[in-house]
Amino acid sequence: MTELLKISHTMHLEWRYGVGASFHEFIAALRARAQLLGRRCPSCQRVYLPPRPVCGNCYVELRDWVEVRDTGTVRAFTIVHTPIIDPTTGARRPSPYTMALIQLDGADTTLNHYLEASDPTKLRIGMRVRAVWRAPRTGLLGDISHFTELTDE
Amino acid sequence: MRHAAIIGTGQTKHTKAHDDMNQAELVRQAATRALSDAGITFREVDAVVLANMELFEGRALPEMWVGAGAGGYLKPAIKIATGGTSGTSAAIAGYHQCASGLFDIVLVVGWEKHSEGATQTGMAMVDPLWDRNVASGAVGNFALSISQYVAERGVTPAQAAQVAVKARRNAAKNPYAHLQMPDLTVEQVLRSPMLADPVHRLDMCPQSDGACALVYAAQGIAEKLCARPAWVRAAVTRHDQPYIGDLDRRLVTMRTLRDAARAAYHQVGIVEPRKQIDVAEIYEPVSYAELAWYEALGFCAEGKAGELIDEGVTEMNGELPVNPSGGVLSSNPVGASGVLRVAEAAMQVMGRAGAHQIADARVALATGYGVYAWSDVMILGADT
Repeated sequence: MTELLKISHTMHLEWRYGVGASFHEFIAALRARAQLLGRRCPSCQRVYLPPRPVCGNCYVELRDWVEVRDTGTVRAFTIVHTPIIDPTTGARRPSPYTMALIQLDGADTTLNHYLEASDPTKLRIGMRVRAVWRAPRTGLLGDISHFTELTDE
Repeated sequence: MRHAAIIGTGQTKHTKAHDDMNQAELVRQAATRALSDAGITFREVDAVVLANMELFEGRALPEMWVGAGAGGYLKPAIKIATGGTSGTSAAIAGYHQCASGLFDIVLVVGWEKHSEGATQTGMAMVDPLWDRNVASGAVGNFALSISQYVAERGVTPAQAAQVAVKARRNAAKNPYAHLQMPDLTVEQVLRSPMLADPVHRLDMCPQSDGACALVYAAQGIAEKLCARPAWVRAAVTRHDQPYIGDLDRRLVTMRTLRDAARAAYHQVGIVEPRKQIDVAEIYEPVSYAELAWYEALGFCAEGKAGELIDEGVTEMNGELPVNPSGGVLSSNPVGASGVLRVAEAAMQVMGRAGAHQIADARVALATGYGVYAWSDVMILGADT
């Protein structure tokens, strides 16, 4: 059978995103003070990070801001070996790297972020970690470069 | 609501790259085969439901294929895009359109051509303020949840690998399946490259090009057109909160699938799923997920999924065969994958599954899984 033709096509586009009222406050606090702000549900008391306008479980409006610390506990982790084209850069992300779901102190949700441990064999669920910040901050989650072991507790 | 049944199904070969067909041609082949299986032509179709995740191909407006592909010219049509559940959500929407009395005959078509784009990057194009810069595609996200599931349930890599072996062995009996590996071994799965601990390459579903279609007919018409229609007994959808970090131990709890299954079982009167369901086609993007779904679907007690696969309960000749088609682990054109689960369940009830037919299948379960934790459950039966 005749092999049919294939063509390549590429796109270079810019997008904009109206962040909404909850993220507006979050970004401002992150940029100004390296502060992580969550929102507490007045009904179930759950603290959400990232902040959002309503509690998805109770469907009540969230108004109370709660400061969440930049230390936390690993709830899940994996070492990723497979390469991915990073959607924020369009470039291949170097691998392997360690991902973790981290429950920050004061939050009920977990945060998906990079984890760098001095000894990968010591990675475990339940380990205590702290954020390593970049400077200058831009107000994005990428202001946290990664998390690392918390040793001085 | 009146009763409605599936009276025909059709699919393309699922493969790494369908360079022989463009999207419209792929849709048309699946639709034509389903209509032929139902013994009707596109003229009898009252409405069309499409399922496709257009971001993965980088092609906007896939609904343009409804005319040339699905015979939907001058007919009502909708498109559904809910990640992995696109196909089961489209199947449920088509059922609602038919059972509600809105339309007598409804055609559902799902398709994907992953070979045309960058699927994992497409999946990572999530919230630019939050998790986009740490997104790791389907493999990384699943591996995170799997680490929790393994820690709590103690399933072993070999037990997960056995799921992958079962899928590819079953797929060898399905002429349309993408990965057909009749002689695959647990050792080969465990020796395949590590994608993200503990997920090996052969633990993970492929990215496939393919399409699948099915035809619904309302009671009164279905019996005239089909000797043994697959009647819809239950159709349930459940969704959860938006971010992966919102979901408490996703694979362990999987509250959407648990709740959808509970509601569907209640509608049908199923109290012992393992005894009362004859065959299941479940949406397992990774071997470990199938084990987690066994628990969520009530096939075994919590923590007993590893034993279920060890004992062969879900093999082709077991008490409750799971994914005789080879499942998502063997063929995964995302927009079609959910339609495939429902179509394969229907084929079992209709007695049209060929070499992967389960004898006397009268009650079949189909599930969909999408986004971080969206679940669909359908139950089909030989009786209304």
